[in-house]
Amino acid sequence: MTSLTLAGIRKRFGKVDVIRGVDLRVADGEFVVFVGPSGCGKSTLLRMIAGLEDISEGELRIGDRIVNEVQPAKRGVAMVFQSYALYPHLTVRDNMGFGLKVRGVPPHERRQRVEAAAATLKLDALLQRFPRELSGGQRQRVAIGRAIVGEPDVFLFDEPLSNLDAELRVHMRSEIASLHKRLGNTMIYVTHDQIEAMTLADKIVVLRDGQVEQVGTPRQLYERPGNLFVAQFIGSPKMNILPIEAVAGKLPGQPKTASLVGVRPEDLELTEPGSGFVDARILISEYTGASSLLHVQLPSGQVFLVAHDGEAPPADTSVGLAVEPGRLHFFADSGRRAD
Amino acid sequence: MPAKPTTGIVTQDASTPWLTLKMREAMEAWLFIGPTLAGFLIFFIGPLIAVVWYSMTEWNLLAQQATFVGLDNYDDALFRNPDFWLVVRNSVIFALGLVPFNMALALALAISLSRRFVGVVFFRTVFFAPVVTSAVAWAIVWKFLLQGEAGFVNQMLAHIGINGPNWLREPDWAMAAVIVTRVIKMVGLNMILYIAALQAIPRDYEAAARLEGASNWQIFRLVIWPLLGPTTLVIMVITTIGSFKVFDHIYLMTGGGPENGTLVLAFYIYKQGFEFFDVGYASALAMIMFVIVMVLTLVQLALRRRDT
Ligand SMILES: Nc1ncnc2c1ncn2[C@@H]1O[C@H](COP(=O)(O)OP(=O)(O)OP(=O)(O)O)[C@@H](O)[C@H]1O
Ligand SMILES: [Mg+2]
Repeated sequence: MTSLTLAGIRKRFGKVDVIRGVDLRVADGEFVVFVGPSGCGKSTLLRMIAGLEDISEGELRIGDRIVNEVQPAKRGVAMVFQSYALYPHLTVRDNMGFGLKVRGVPPHERRQRVEAAAATLKLDALLQRFPRELSGGQRQRVAIGRAIVGEPDVFLFDEPLSNLDAELRVHMRSEIASLHKRLGNTMIYVTHDQIEAMTLADKIVVLRDGQVEQVGTPRQLYERPGNLFVAQFIGSPKMNILPIEAVAGKLPGQPKTASLVGVRPEDLELTEPGSGFVDARILISEYTGASSLLHVQLPSGQVFLVAHDGEAPPADTSVGLAVEPGRLHFFADSGRRAD
Repeated sequence: MPAKPTTGIVTQDASTPWLTLKMREAMEAWLFIGPTLAGFLIFFIGPLIAVVWYSMTEWNLLAQQATFVGLDNYDDALFRNPDFWLVVRNSVIFALGLVPFNMALALALAISLSRRFVGVVFFRTVFFAPVVTSAVAWAIVWKFLLQGEAGFVNQMLAHIGINGPNWLREPDWAMAAVIVTRVIKMVGLNMILYIAALQAIPRDYEAAARLEGASNWQIFRLVIWPLLGPTTLVIMVITTIGSFKVFDHIYLMTGGGPENGTLVLAFYIYKQGFEFFDVGYASALAMIMFVIVMVLTLVQLALRRRDT
């Protein structure tokens, strides 16, 4: 059983509070993704779990143990670094076997385990190479291989794909997903790419300024974002937000406390002017192949994005915007979800 | 370029410069390296050739008279003059004492001073300051501190009940004293080189190794030390060469004594040339020293290449 529990975790660098009270439960075998804007403390939190940063306040449990004071190597975690951190003077084989070597695993067993890990990652042919002789994707795989060899209970990934080009990223993403399926370990994965978060996660933790904004499945975060920040952070293109006064008449399901309404570009439909919940004028339409992204201007002057399938009307056309009632998101003044 | 009316006759375009682009670039290149090259030829290659020539003459500065004697001077040094081998032995002892001591201390200091903590700049400055102080002042101060009974060092030792030797008057102690004071003077330079190299090593390597269970010693031995390899080689070469060339320090602290116990090669050459005015012999010694340093450097480079 390798669950993790973070209770009231805080981190201070000097006088700066970087992590400001994080409570979180990660179930055994769960794939959890930390996502949030740059500088929000994702890496710091991950490094605290690994033991590379000490915990200023709070309690961290891995399994049944409180590990606040346990050495990194004794926590049963392995980490894949954004920089890969492959030792440049060692071959792939020695890089992967490094942890076993320092732990005194005998050479023949080391060999077996390195080769087994190499086989699962299709690295067999590269074992004699040095990191400088590998492509980005291959280095990435070696870094993962090095983590696997130690047979950790928990895998930690810190933006492992951010140095790869777009195509390779999609590929490695699926490899990591299948690795998780095969090994079934608990994994914690840091990214600021919300597509990565959505596709990989069992559970997403959205962080901002060292605090958890919301925890939930990708679907929960997408369909019922708990506040404005999450609403705009998850989903691409961003959710449109409108003050409720700008809408003529009452919206279906509008709670009394709501002062803002949000609607995702992909939930908006174009209709005849006057027949939607608000009218708009088309400014630009960006053709992207599968669909078009329309920039439309509301009477209030605000610009909305609309993801539109099929033929896009020309610029300056007046249109109405319609939406299914269940697709509206209401937020109170405070930014919290209002329904 | 506007098209010219065609006459059917091919003439050379008037805008074609006298020199091709390539030639002009080459000329500019020579112009830029010219001054340095001239300086190199006049002040380095020139004297080197002169020394080779002098080394084959019997030339006494006082007599103002040079006679060609072939390899006689070399023969003298290598096979007839027992002083020479004593001096080589002293130089080797000096180098063997100084180089490892200097490097180990430099590395230890660099490791302690490569992290950030309050006062780190102060400590770095303290250890680097002797490098930029005058060698003369340094030697004179230490000579003073290391005096027999009245010397500061011995007075301090007396406080803790140790009866210090007369450092610069006993052959073995004198050698140890010149080595240690020289190391303290020069260690800051190597320390800075090591600090720069340590700071260039990404912190993730250490984190990764620690996470995999490596002890501090293992991290140093298996990750940091190998990555410092190129720096270590450079430091080893320059420190070795420097130790063979040491002159002012010895000249001022011991004058080669006592009983020639600190008479090293560079100082011996100086003595032959400028005290005994035997320029031919001194030149032959200089050539021998040149070869020794060259060979040492090549050996170190070769060792390094075999390692990687
Ligand atoms: N050693 C440190 N000393 C002081 N401040 C630090 C230290 N490490 C991180 N910080 C600060 O803590 C905050 C969080 O940093 P962290 O690296 O965890 O962000 P992140 O969410 O991983 O960002 P990114 O997406 O850019 O990697 C930042 O404001 C950073 O400046
Ligand atoms: Mg980060």
